[in-house]
Amino acid sequence: MTRWGMVIDLRRCIGCYSCTIGCKQEHFLPPGVFWTRLLISEIGIYPRVVSHVYPVLCNHCSEAICVKACPSGATVQREDGIVNIDYDKCVGCRYCVLACPYQQRTYYSDASKGYFPGQGLTELEVFGRELSSFQSGTVVKCNFCEEKIDEGIGKGLKPGVDREATPACVNNCPTKARHFGKLDDPDSEVSILIRQRKGFQLHPEFGTNPSVYYID
Amino acid sequence: MKAHEWMVKYTRQTEWIDRRGILIWLAEVSNGLGGGLYLVSLYFNSLWGMFISWLAVILLKGGFHFAYLGKPMRFWRMALKPGTSWLARGFIFLTLFIGFGAFQLAFSYWMPGTAFEAIFKTIAGLSVFLVVINTGFVMNYINAIPFWNSAMLPLLFLSCGILDGLALILTIGLFGGNVDIVAAERGSRLFLVINAFLITIYLWSATYMGPTGERSVRELIKGQNARVLWLGVIFFGIFIPIVISISSHFLSEVSASLLITGVVCEMVGAFSLKYSILKCALYSPLVPI
Repeated sequence: MTRWGMVIDLRRCIGCYSCTIGCKQEHFLPPGVFWTRLLISEIGIYPRVVSHVYPVLCNHCSEAICVKACPSGATVQREDGIVNIDYDKCVGCRYCVLACPYQQRTYYSDASKGYFPGQGLTELEVFGRELSSFQSGTVVKCNFCEEKIDEGIGKGLKPGVDREATPACVNNCPTKARHFGKLDDPDSEVSILIRQRKGFQLHPEFGTNPSVYYID
Repeated sequence: MKAHEWMVKYTRQTEWIDRRGILIWLAEVSNGLGGGLYLVSLYFNSLWGMFISWLAVILLKGGFHFAYLGKPMRFWRMALKPGTSWLARGFIFLTLFIGFGAFQLAFSYWMPGTAFEAIFKTIAGLSVFLVVINTGFVMNYINAIPFWNSAMLPLLFLSCGILDGLALILTIGLFGGNVDIVAAERGSRLFLVINAFLITIYLWSATYMGPTGERSVRELIKGQNARVLWLGVIFFGIFIPIVISISSHFLSEVSASLLITGVVCEMVGAFSLKYSILKCALYSPLVPI
């Protein structure tokens, strides 16, 4: 069975936030909710300072601790490795938020909160709320744009190759720092990148085996 | 913490202590107080103690947890995955305790001394024991927070619960309940020492849980929340009750007001300990620092 994964080239990432904004637009994410973010750290003392830019998102771990922690069965893992939340089953206990070592889950508390406080929701926000399946009082997170993947596969497209079937953050990256594809296919672009450029995962010591790799 | 420092530096867990998370803290304290009192009341055979603790566990622990949920009307779903989730197991233990506890109270009140009472006392006692230690397992399962990822936590919460229970049963005894006050005092003395020992071992062992665990301990001892540990846990929770307890051992009779002071101090300690543990839980940064 396919296991979808992502490779992020840290040398190519310029920290432009296109992935973050693209994801927000794709999923109509409400204020304060980010499914992909940029973490920027600085090491050293002037004039010897090194800056690190790490784009982070849900790692869709193959040994996802959030799936095990969820008491209601709302967080599930599909056969292709995508970790998903069924908003109709989530009780909002936030145990998964605590359990995630990467802190990529957000508790969505207030559906009435818009981007322009005091001015109500814009037409686009209202449209987005109708279109998305989020429910206030539940936990939300990146779903690897599963709807695009599923629809694309249905049309005979290849996720990671055809834009229509590829996650929005990958499509929006202007420097092509993000790559998406099959981790279990040794000939896929992501597998070759991991192999040739010694891809690494974040916090492998937690034993979660993330599906997001980084190359430097 | 500033927004740009989030997961770039050591990041504190906020979901279970800040804003509405304060309800989790109150629920955990109620868990220790209620569960501990029930266990101690079984030992002292105090029907009042059992009844009060049973109510406390349902109304306070259950109530605070229920109020915390984002979708409270779906609470029953929390029992659906006991195979992997400690939270689901905890919900089941709590439900069992509520049911068996009700039967036990009924038998103890209307049919004391019967085999049914003994059976339900055993089952209810076992279920409340699981309720009390489960909190520790819920937290130590989270390996992302090294400070919590300790096998000491269930034991520490059990010991704290029993100590709190002894303090409360002492109060019930002072207000006319049928409780052996001398035995309760002796038990308190013993568990104060055990508690102090377990807290020390827990903090010491947490420093060996990598740099993040060490950082949590440092935050607890020297950081912004150090006052809660030193004043709340150590001074009020352990030192003053030990002084009162030792004085009561050497003096033939100690005033009720002094004993009440000791009980109040122990309560402050119980609240402070849970607060400290929840407040100083840190995640490791995701990027090189």
